Amino acid sequence: MTANESTLWASTKAEWIKFRTVRSSVMGVILTFVLIIGLGILVSSLERSHWSQVSTLRQATFDPVSSSLVGILFGQLAVGVIGTLFITSEYSSGSIRTTLTAAPNRLRLITSKLLVLFVTILLVGEVVCVAAFLIGQKIYFGVVPTASLDNGAVLRSVLLAGVYLSLLGVLGFSLGLIFRQSGACISLFVTLLLVVPIIGFFFPQSWQNDFQRFEPSTLGQSMFSPSAPSNSFGAWTATIVLTAYVLVILVIALTLFDRRDAGAVA
Amino acid sequence: MIKVDHLTKRYSGTLAVNDLDFEVKPGVVTGFLGPNGSGKSTTMRIILGLDRPTSGSATINGQRYADLKEPMREVGALLDAKAVHPGRTARNHLRALATSNQIKRARVEEVLDFVGITAVADKKVGSYSLGMSQRLGIAGALLGDPGILLFDEPVNGLDPEGIRWIREFFRTLANQGRTVFVSSHLMSEMAVSADEIIVIGRGRFITSGSIDDLTKTAKGTVLVRGSDHDRLASVIASHHGVVHEANDRGLVIGELTSDEVGQIAFDAGITVFELVPQRASLEEVFMDLTADAVEFGSKTAGTS
Repeated sequence: MTANESTLWASTKAEWIKFRTVRSSVMGVILTFVLIIGLGILVSSLERSHWSQVSTLRQATFDPVSSSLVGILFGQLAVGVIGTLFITSEYSSGSIRTTLTAAPNRLRLITSKLLVLFVTILLVGEVVCVAAFLIGQKIYFGVVPTASLDNGAVLRSVLLAGVYLSLLGVLGFSLGLIFRQSGACISLFVTLLLVVPIIGFFFPQSWQNDFQRFEPSTLGQSMFSPSAPSNSFGAWTATIVLTAYVLVILVIALTLFDRRDAGAVA
Repeated sequence: MIKVDHLTKRYSGTLAVNDLDFEVKPGVVTGFLGPNGSGKSTTMRIILGLDRPTSGSATINGQRYADLKEPMREVGALLDAKAVHPGRTARNHLRALATSNQIKRARVEEVLDFVGITAVADKKVGSYSLGMSQRLGIAGALLGDPGILLFDEPVNGLDPEGIRWIREFFRTLANQGRTVFVSSHLMSEMAVSADEIIVIGRGRFITSGSIDDLTKTAKGTVLVRGSDHDRLASVIASHHGVVHEANDRGLVIGELTSDEVGQIAFDAGITVFELVPQRASLEEVFMDLTADAVEFGSKTAGTS
């Protein structure tokens, strides 16, 4: 192992220690579980108990995959907060200075943090999404149509749901690195995911379709639906577009981080 | 060795550090002295690669800090004791630092023990007093057993016992041949803890040298108490001395040494009860040196 590889590995191990030894990340992970699985159970149960009253049109277009994963709507906020706090807490406490004196190569430091964040949220996301899906199907069984992971499109959707969460974690982190302030970042994150779609709703109908498919939340829907919803991208295209968004913001964040003084905190 | 070479730092129009040039050598405690806002912390942050210099450079053993592979093995620094995540325990904080520089875990226990916070090592740092945080910061600086140590205003917030401990600690580190660079805005503190000092004001270099050198250049006074103050004052004046003050405690005399004052009094047949050279006017030396360089000097009341 060359010196560079070993120092990257060392600083990644250090960031992992830092990640798991503060309450905010541990609580964030627990919250992700509770929101996605809990809301999944709630919505799936309601779906089952009210199935007979649902219109035949809705019954025909019902998607057991995305409806069992409906908790992602809130779970995505939890992972965004995990990502944001992983960097903004360094600024609010001033510990970024201690961190940087121990690991002065800034690109390496951020690579380490991203490795920890992305891998952790990806694992958590996959576990929680598979669990929410399986529990949902169990609840639907016998009354509501169900889906199975044996189906390639279904498996893809459930796995991409975990990828969606980890991409949003990185998005939250990148915004944190740009603004260095928890409150501003979390508001912006919520705006991007929940408010932008509402704004899009007020656009003329002819614009709406074009606008909506580019919204991060619609991209997410496309990623975890077995068949693409109307007027939106296919799952893989949506994954690429969302990754591109995140990468652009990450590159801006890295450029700023490399130029800025770490002593002065915004 | 730390080398600062024509270092300049400008923050949106304000010149925080202005063409600073100095070296810090191993084996001695070097004080970095200047009034508040004179650029000490900025200089230290640039040495540690936290802030980018506008021009010039700062190097550690010839290398930029950012290029050091495992910097904690070469440089230990304590800038701000509270710059630690309040929700993490001291032990976990030090473990993360040690891991990042591939320092063995046993070393964490050693430094915890050395600064005397082993008993509270599993408490969250947010609950620490400033003094305990300072100790944790020192533990962090020592983790990599570095040859160079930087401390920014380390005695701030310490109780007298802590201050004495830290002075002896600096002395020990220097005696071990390490480079010890300590900033302070208090001349009196530097007088007891530093061997060499570098004085800056408004980001500019003012002077450097040993404490003795600096006080020699300063004009000391002599306090003398004797049998006849009136006559003593007149003979002093005839020997080109200056009487700054005269009261029951005695005369404060300038421009003459205590040897000279004693001889003059003896020749004039005046009994001397007390003769004290007042060289401890370090604070005055400092005030003189930095008088033009205080950023926020106190102004006399009135319009200005």
